[in-house]
Amino acid sequence: MIRLQNVTKTYKRGGDDEVIALNDVSLEINKGEFVFIVGPSGSGKSTFMKLLTREQLVDSGELWVAGKDLNAIRSWKIPALRRDIGYVFQDFKLLPNKSVRENVAFALEVIGKSRREIDIRVPEVLELVGIEEKADAMPHELSGGQQQRVSVARAFVNSPRILLCDEPTGNLDPSTSVGIMKLLDRINRTGATVVMATHDQHIVDSMRRRVVELENGVVVRDQSRGVYGYAG
Amino acid sequence: MPARWRYILSEAGKGLRRNVLMTVAVILSITVSLTLLGATLLLRDQIDLATDDWVDQVEVSIFLCDGETCPAITPEQEDQLREDLEAQPVVDEVLYESKEEAYERFTELFQDQPNLVEAVEPDILPASFRVSLVDPDEFLVIAQQFEAYPGVEDIIDQREVLTQFLNFTRIVRNGALAVALIQLAAAALLIGNTILMSAFARREQTSIMKLVGASNWYIRLPFFLEAVITGVLGAVVSWGLLYVVVPRVTEGLSAQVLLMPFIGVREVWEAAPVLLASGFGIAAFSSIIALWFFQDS
Repeated sequence: MIRLQNVTKTYKRGGDDEVIALNDVSLEINKGEFVFIVGPSGSGKSTFMKLLTREQLVDSGELWVAGKDLNAIRSWKIPALRRDIGYVFQDFKLLPNKSVRENVAFALEVIGKSRREIDIRVPEVLELVGIEEKADAMPHELSGGQQQRVSVARAFVNSPRILLCDEPTGNLDPSTSVGIMKLLDRINRTGATVVMATHDQHIVDSMRRRVVELENGVVVRDQSRGVYGYAG
Repeated sequence: MPARWRYILSEAGKGLRRNVLMTVAVILSITVSLTLLGATLLLRDQIDLATDDWVDQVEVSIFLCDGETCPAITPEQEDQLREDLEAQPVVDEVLYESKEEAYERFTELFQDQPNLVEAVEPDILPASFRVSLVDPDEFLVIAQQFEAYPGVEDIIDQREVLTQFLNFTRIVRNGALAVALIQLAAAALLIGNTILMSAFARREQTSIMKLVGASNWYIRLPFFLEAVITGVLGAVVSWGLLYVVVPRVTEGLSAQVLLMPFIGVREVWEAAPVLLASGFGIAAFSSIIALWFFQDS
């Protein structure tokens, strides 16, 4: 589903100063996997996510996502790629002037789905994330955990094959985070590949899923059924 | 498909309403520039009308007697006159215009002023020799020499009649064109800036649209439409101004300047497509450039 082959990505930081965000990373994530990407800030997690959605282009190496070669993809085909990927942000990024239902429906409207399809799919996914009774609430009326559920609903409403979650529990308290993780686990069980960047140690340890650890742009550990760190 | 268009139109409407003052500023700016542009077009029409090809070639008119105020010119006198005219080194070309041709040209020239045409009998206009000169300033040489010829009623320097008016008109036209172009550039920058602001104000929404896979044209079309609507509105207002003002001005002028054809409502109508296309074009062009910058940022 996702394959990186010797991927390197650097950023210019004024003059000749370069920051290596990813250094010769090779990694394969299969369909239906649940993978944690862990590592300290600046380890390359964010860059990794941005490369997958083709917000950025690799400097060298190969990157395949959902069967597409991201080095060769035409710019007008990028929207099609992104319809295969759901994205959940740390800060939810809900539109403040739209209700819960409208926020989720928006993701379908802007890719040209019919009203009928939207009217069927939105209630389904609101029920899946357990927020159906808040469908007409505005984002500011919701708790952080509820907002993140809406955000997950929006990411998943188009049934993408891949769900990318960038620190989805970063703004949430531990008990709320557990709820979100259960939700992501449920989505993973429907067959979606879930990739989650995090440095929430408790969550990684409790889930016991594959863990890829980045440090200074290099994969230092790739472990199935892993924990956050060896010695904590 | 209708749902998509409803979204695009409502977003464009939101953009226009979000910053009403800016929208008004853009429309006014386009109105001013296109009004000036329209004025230069109409002045060009006016100049063309006043100097149809025929007048442009002729510098001297030698009107021939037809027996009304002086003894009618005989064919022999006419041949002699033509021969002597053609022998002059300062004369470039000699054309003969009969009474019928004179009347034909007159009715054509003043087709917008039927009252004037009606008032003129077909045989009232004299036949004439139309003489163009190698150097138009040599008019006096011709005038002095042929004034006394038998059968010559009058000699008129056509240049003098027209030149002053035309020079003035051309200066006004060029000035208006220069100001129109500067103003048009300013309008383009204003549109670009407004669209950037509009896109920036909705960057949260557009970034989400990008991530969920909305196509580029779907993201940009509302902004493009927003610009084009202001552009077309500005064009419509400027055309309306010209439609109201120009016929009044030319009517007033034609009452004072006799025997000069003036443009009317028809020419203003003819300017409408040009103005609309310019308003649309300038808005489309500057918004596309602005959105191109926005996408890269």
